[in-house]
Amino acid sequence: MDVTTVAADAGATISGSPGLEPALGGKQAGGVLRVENLSAFYDRRRAVREVTLDFRPNLITAIIGPSGSGKSTLLRCMNRMHEVVPRGRVEGLVEYRGIDIYDPRVDPAAVRRSIGMVFQQPNPFPTKSIAENVVAAARFNGLVKGRGPERELVERCLVQAALWDEVKDKLDDSGTSLSGGQQQRLCIARALALAPDVLLMDEPCSALDPVATSQVEQLMTDLRASYTIVIVTHNMQQASRISDRTAFLNMGEDRAGYLVEEGPTPEIFTQPRLQLTEDYISGRFG
Amino acid sequence: MNVLAVVAFAVALVPLAAIAWYVVTKGIGVINVDFFTQDPPGDLSAAGGGIRNAIVGTLEMTGFAALIAVPVGLLIAVFDVEVGGRPAVVIRFVIDVLAALPSIVVGIFVYSLVVVAQGHFSGLAGSIALAIIMLPPVVVATEEMLRLLPRSIAEGARALGLSRWRSFLSIFLPTAFSGIFTGVLLAVSRAIGETAPLLFTSLGNNFFSLDMSEPMQGLPLLIYRNALNSAFPAAEARAFGAALTLVAMVLLFNLAGRWMVARSRPSGSR
Repeated sequence: MDVTTVAADAGATISGSPGLEPALGGKQAGGVLRVENLSAFYDRRRAVREVTLDFRPNLITAIIGPSGSGKSTLLRCMNRMHEVVPRGRVEGLVEYRGIDIYDPRVDPAAVRRSIGMVFQQPNPFPTKSIAENVVAAARFNGLVKGRGPERELVERCLVQAALWDEVKDKLDDSGTSLSGGQQQRLCIARALALAPDVLLMDEPCSALDPVATSQVEQLMTDLRASYTIVIVTHNMQQASRISDRTAFLNMGEDRAGYLVEEGPTPEIFTQPRLQLTEDYISGRFG
Repeated sequence: MNVLAVVAFAVALVPLAAIAWYVVTKGIGVINVDFFTQDPPGDLSAAGGGIRNAIVGTLEMTGFAALIAVPVGLLIAVFDVEVGGRPAVVIRFVIDVLAALPSIVVGIFVYSLVVVAQGHFSGLAGSIALAIIMLPPVVVATEEMLRLLPRSIAEGARALGLSRWRSFLSIFLPTAFSGIFTGVLLAVSRAIGETAPLLFTSLGNNFFSLDMSEPMQGLPLLIYRNALNSAFPAAEARAFGAALTLVAMVLLFNLAGRWMVARSRPSGSR
């Protein structure tokens, strides 16, 4: 899918809120997605402290760090999923194509349509068939209408998610009848159906076996050309295998996660600037 | 351990089998086409006639009660789970108290509230009493199902740009549907056999009537009245025949419900 049409689509969905179109005009020289001084809270407890990061288009950025370093929370702030948690609160700026996604005029649902998310546990809708899993959200959001276009969308997304050949003869079976790895690719297909241009992946392989993991990793590499991908991972080998850039988060003394350093993945893994990163990469803690 | 399990199984099964056997052997004798297509004779001691009015009355009153109790119960459960907070705790407490209320008290309550106000007994009053009986199990079953479901399912829907209520109605609720439906079936099965709440509400009668504003006969009432007159062989036989009909109705009802649930899901789902 070509990036300009996706951007236009994204603009169309977000610009449902008035006054945001001008900001959409030019594609920014920098990233598609940018967070600045971002802090996230659960009630009064701070989980992420003042993170500033730039996510560039058509690259895979990995967020690594020990448990409790706020990786998932940071990720969930970037498509307004953090506020779905009771008493979840965000401070700071998250900018998507020049739009402050926390602007009160912005509809969080529109943000989530443009910035898709895949979770740690595959979570296909249990009462829906494979085809329905892919198409349901797109239909609710009014992105597709009629049997023909729906069928096409299902096929296109399943092909893109490298699942079509395995399920094309049983599209009416339940989504939960698939194996774990297939379910995860179904969830990726489901996210793709909304034509997002950013994909946030929260440890998408941690519940999968090695074969399924390598399939999903291959898929991410294939999707890189058309999407901006951010992946949270516990697995440093995975980060070094598939990502172009790596951000390392650590848990501070106040138990909130903070950004230690960010850079091209080979650099982070071979010659990090900071000793702390070196220690984490070499497995001395975490 | 295995021996204990077998013993426990037997202890649980014996009363069930004994009741089923007793009702079937005593009741099967009067079952014929007339039994379902005719109304009872004015004089209970007379032989012949059927229980058509009671079957229809039970279906109508229980069905109407379900129409009241199911939506209200669903709303209460959804409120408790999705909104929560102090009001939910209070509501849940009230529901628990309601569940513990003897059914005859429910009958008296509806009598003083509806029958006295209306000036006469009616099928509607019976339905309201049955609805109050049904409400707690519907609420409890729905709440349990909704709490049991992994939040990740609702979360996945939210992440796809669905609003909170859209994701709840279109994704979360259908996922819980089979469990909720089972709860509703249990509630209906319980209410359908209730006698006490109907005694001072729908009262019962001996002729066929579909009018909810008039007194209405129900199977439990018919069984009760005929059993009271069991010195007459015809009344006793009619009571057992009606009891067998009631048990069979509940059984069929549950089987049909389960079949519907199984059929409504895509194949291979758990």
